[in-house]
Amino acid sequence: MARYGMVFDLKRCIGCNACVIGCKQENSLPDGVFFTRTLSEEYGVYPAVNRVYIPTLCNHCEDAPCEKVCPSGATYTRPDGIVMVDPQKCIGCGSCAVACPYDQRSEMKAEAFKDGLFGTGELTDFEKQGYPRYTPGMVTKCDFCSGRVDAGLDPACVVTCPTDARIFGDLDDPNSKPSKLIRERGGKSPLPEKNTRPKVYYID
Amino acid sequence: MAVNDLPIVGDSFKLGFRLQRYWDTPMASAFFFGELGAGLFFVSLLLESNRGMLAGLLITGLLKTYFHLSHMGVPQKSWRAILRPDRSWISRGLIGIVCFMGFGGLHLLEVWGLIPGFGGLLTLLAGAAALVVMTYQGFAMSHSTAISLWNSGLIPVSSLAYSATAGVMVLLAAAPESAQLMVPAALILHLCVAVILLSLLHAARHGSPGARKSVELLTRTLYAKWFFVLVCGAGVLLPVLLLWFAGSVPLATMIAATGTLAGYYTFRLLIFKAGVFEPIMSFRP
Repeated sequence: MARYGMVFDLKRCIGCNACVIGCKQENSLPDGVFFTRTLSEEYGVYPAVNRVYIPTLCNHCEDAPCEKVCPSGATYTRPDGIVMVDPQKCIGCGSCAVACPYDQRSEMKAEAFKDGLFGTGELTDFEKQGYPRYTPGMVTKCDFCSGRVDAGLDPACVVTCPTDARIFGDLDDPNSKPSKLIRERGGKSPLPEKNTRPKVYYID
Repeated sequence: MAVNDLPIVGDSFKLGFRLQRYWDTPMASAFFFGELGAGLFFVSLLLESNRGMLAGLLITGLLKTYFHLSHMGVPQKSWRAILRPDRSWISRGLIGIVCFMGFGGLHLLEVWGLIPGFGGLLTLLAGAAALVVMTYQGFAMSHSTAISLWNSGLIPVSSLAYSATAGVMVLLAAAPESAQLMVPAALILHLCVAVILLSLLHAARHGSPGARKSVELLTRTLYAKWFFVLVCGAGVLLPVLLLWFAGSVPLATMIAATGTLAGYYTFRLLIFKAGVFEPIMSFRP
């Protein structure tokens, strides 16, 4: 069984946010909800100033704190390591949201489903086909586009990235692209002191 | 510039500290009324005040439940929160609340002579369940490593201390004739709360960057005014002074209890609002 993970090559990310748009389209996300973000950090003093882009999404932690605190059993980990949220079981208590050190949970506010993307109260065809996969009020997150992964495809953010800064694959396969990159360029985990063992790595 | 100097970035696409925004006023109100009701019940149980026990049960049963349901995204499925007591403090707490309401209600019926006595068993069970409700919310918060301010053993202790203090103060305000016994207890509990608050701030001040940012929010920037005036002033200093100098005067105990409750509610609210997520990494030297 595969153990899926992702590598972000920070040398390649140009901060275009195409991944963010690809994710929103794939997952039909309501206004203000993002499963992935590309954060920017500026540092240094003029004229020696630098800017780095840091893509983020759910880290699908091996020791997922969101799963441990979920009182309803809605959050669970698939055998391939993808951490999922069952929309039928989620009660929207938000305990997963305050337990995730990476702030990667999103509230699917009920109003967003009623108002629609344009705030007119009328849903577009795009919204009509996408929203039924969520329960209004639930708290959810990135699932590595599990439907695409099951079909043998890469997640939407990976295929949308124009610079190949996002590399997805099986971390248990030593010959997979992410495994090689982590081995050769030393993948860093986000907030390792939180002991969540993320399956997303950063290389620079 | 170090990580500590990174800004609070709100919901933007910048790297920095992010304020916890998932548990807000309704959840703080639910925590407050849950602990207030359970604390009042527990103190009333010890002092055999039937009215106090009934009030405690009603506060927890009605107000805590109302605010919890208003917080839930999918309230019609709230019953599912009971399903994972093996790993979730929310589930354990919900079982505690059900036991508290059940055993507490039966204990009252027993005291009123409406059901046969069980030889103190119901008193024991109701008291134990009240203690669970007084503390579990603190455990639910401190269990989370995500928000460093909350990830402290002092959080459940603060829940217990505040809960007991609020219980004593409400009972004291409602029944000033018991002042001789209650005033010393209230003074000691307020001092405990003060020590816990100082310890919590001290531990966070020397903790991770996120915890330090929370302390900065509470004591120097965004929430400092509210923290010092309501949590420290009205919630601790004012009741201690009033109880010390006019502990047996009904009006003084009433004002002291109001101050304690205002401080306690503000503490509950600010501890949520000052919780921050740390930046996932930084390239600053």
